[in-house]
Amino acid sequence: MSPSRIVLFLAAAALPFIVEGQTAASKIPRAADGKPDLTGVWQGGSSRIGTWEAANAGGGTNATSGQISPFAVRGPQEKAPYQPWAAEKVLESFNRRGIDDPMARCLSPGVPRTTTMGLFPMQIVQTPKTIVMLFEVFHVFRVIPIGVQHPDDLEASFMGDSVGRWEGDTLVVDAIGFNDKTWLAGTGTFHSDKLHVVEKFTRMDENTIAYEVTMEDPAVLTKPWVQHSTIMLRPGTRLREYECAENNTDIGRYEKLLQDETVFRRK
Amino acid sequence: MTRSRNLPLAAVVLFVATAASASAHHSFGAEYDANKPITLTGVITKVEWTNPHSFFYLDVKDASGKVSNWKLEGFPPNVLYRTGWKKDVTIKQGDEITVSGWHARDGGNWGHSREVTFKDGKKLFFGPPAGTGDGGNAPSVDVPAK
Repeated sequence: MSPSRIVLFLAAAALPFIVEGQTAASKIPRAADGKPDLTGVWQGGSSRIGTWEAANAGGGTNATSGQISPFAVRGPQEKAPYQPWAAEKVLESFNRRGIDDPMARCLSPGVPRTTTMGLFPMQIVQTPKTIVMLFEVFHVFRVIPIGVQHPDDLEASFMGDSVGRWEGDTLVVDAIGFNDKTWLAGTGTFHSDKLHVVEKFTRMDENTIAYEVTMEDPAVLTKPWVQHSTIMLRPGTRLREYECAENNTDIGRYEKLLQDETVFRRK
Repeated sequence: MTRSRNLPLAAVVLFVATAASASAHHSFGAEYDANKPITLTGVITKVEWTNPHSFFYLDVKDASGKVSNWKLEGFPPNVLYRTGWKKDVTIKQGDEITVSGWHARDGGNWGHSREVTFKDGKKLFFGPPAGTGDGGNAPSVDVPAK
């Protein structure tokens, strides 16, 4: 194994315990102020290197093409630590095949679901004082001021309120102010308005952002839920339009299905 | 499967079930049955290039010559573009195509599309894998037995 391969191997093996200073500092793009530059169009929930088309043969949901990032997260992810009553509710949603997905009603996907959604690209625009994340899915956005506190007049919202800070080469985004109308990640992963999300974005190389998200919600979880994934650069991709409400026929079809749940329930 | 037997032009294709846990706009698994793969050949009668999902309609003729119109659901325009489709160019009224996908649970003339094969043999995905959006193979939680 060559020295460079050993470095890559060690870096990959170190995940999911990324700490400050672990990135190859000289090899990542940097902004004029010296911070890692996250500017670009990205795909969350992926570990494949390359253009969107090269990395997503198969329609963007089950890519089997493209080289895998050396920083890809390996091994099983932690299951959501829901309180027993809440776990029952998540399981019920799974058994009903996610028919209650808020996104089916064209509602904003929330945090961190928006970030980890693989089917649609996101764009990061970085300035020294503000980082803006634009998401193709339903045109949602996050404006993340750097080095400030959350406002004291928050009202519960789908995307919450985000503030950022740099810890070394890692962008840490703290988000609160959520309503209880979105899912965290997989089917049925509901939360309360006590949700507190902390995300860490660490650019590891040209292609890869290592993403760590910690979800705290004392009303439904027994402890913080930590998930790791990678966000991949997609050169040449531009955000397009996704105007969900144009022809959303799902709700009417769902109402028919719900008249007899045995038709589609898992059990 | 029984539906396919009633449609001699349709051949059943065996799909390997994929662990599709990817997020989609809504649950394909609630409306469509991953255990009922369908393959239909016919003539395009209409294309709806719309959000949150696109549709095309296909006239399918059975052995007796009876024509029925099928509705197939797939990706929104943004995803279709990145999957290689061009609006009003790649698929048009009058084109003969073959589509594979999965039948609606209610047994009607509609389904969830996956791969479209054109007359020249070219293939493109019009929709996601079976089960997309319905939770995948396992729930996000472990629930202790009572």
